[in-house]
Amino acid sequence: MQTPVPRTTSVPALRAAATAREVEERFTLGLAALARSDWSAGAAEFERIVALDPPEPKGSTARYDLAIAQANLGRNDDAARNLRAAIALDPGFLAAMANLISVDLARGDLQDARAVADRFIALAPDSARALYSRGLVALQGGDAQTARTDFGKLLQANPAYAVAHYDLALAEERLGNVSAAERELRAALALSPGYARAEFALGAVLLRQGRKSDARAAFAQATRDASADPSLANIAAAMRDSIAI
Amino acid sequence: MSRVLALRLVAAGLVLAALLCGRLAIASAASVGDALTGGLVPSAVPGLLDPITSAGRNGWDCKPERAAEADRWHTAHLPSASDRS
Repeated sequence: MQTPVPRTTSVPALRAAATAREVEERFTLGLAALARSDWSAGAAEFERIVALDPPEPKGSTARYDLAIAQANLGRNDDAARNLRAAIALDPGFLAAMANLISVDLARGDLQDARAVADRFIALAPDSARALYSRGLVALQGGDAQTARTDFGKLLQANPAYAVAHYDLALAEERLGNVSAAERELRAALALSPGYARAEFALGAVLLRQGRKSDARAAFAQATRDASADPSLANIAAAMRDSIAI
Repeated sequence: MSRVLALRLVAAGLVLAALLCGRLAIASAASVGDALTGGLVPSAVPGLLDPITSAGRNGWDCKPERAAEADRWHTAHLPSASDRS
């Protein structure tokens, strides 16, 4: 039996090979931990990989995976920091941008979310995720004009996406276009009957138009449809009962 | 109690009642406005895309990166209408 001959006896090369093996093994362990929702174990593996500072694409990928574990542990500030680091290493990393926007929204950092969303759209102008995310950030940040543009474009490729019709309706309502808002809400409800949020919004739009009877009926329907959302059901019922016909 | 004093008390009571009704009407309008604002919220924030293997995002089967660039909402893992009543 022959003894395997090492391909190198260089100490730095052997150390680098050992580090590369460790990185691969920790990726395997970390991904297995995330798959079983063991976020702490997953975070520990990816933190170690980050400390080993592997070359690309492993460096940015480890930070991306670490951020997923941290976000699930409620460590959103750490998750945002690692996603930003991943994007700095790999400026075209779209999945990292998508996740960073969601993490930023969870942190309430609308300013960073908007900056990332603008960059995401610039790199992938037809991306449904980019359009939806920036539209959402714009709506939350009071920029109804951008929200209308983004949800409108999202609907061009996805005309049957009820949620985009709903968000577009909110943008139209905030811009004072109540007829357009009503049209989008009716489209959302035609695509997704029982969509309680859309039914509630329809009631609000009808109320703004002075159509009290129709508004009351919409709030009553929203109350019935929102059985899985007691908070919305209560608000809808309060609105229904507040309308004197 | 003189008749004048009684009339003054009645008048004061009427003024107080009018003020109270006004305040209640304002409070009611504010609560309706609050209720509307509370119900008119944007749709859900998208969930996080899945982890990526050590091959990185340029791997041919990197589903999270494909989801991020997809132009269809279901491929992009965006919320559906049933995700938030």
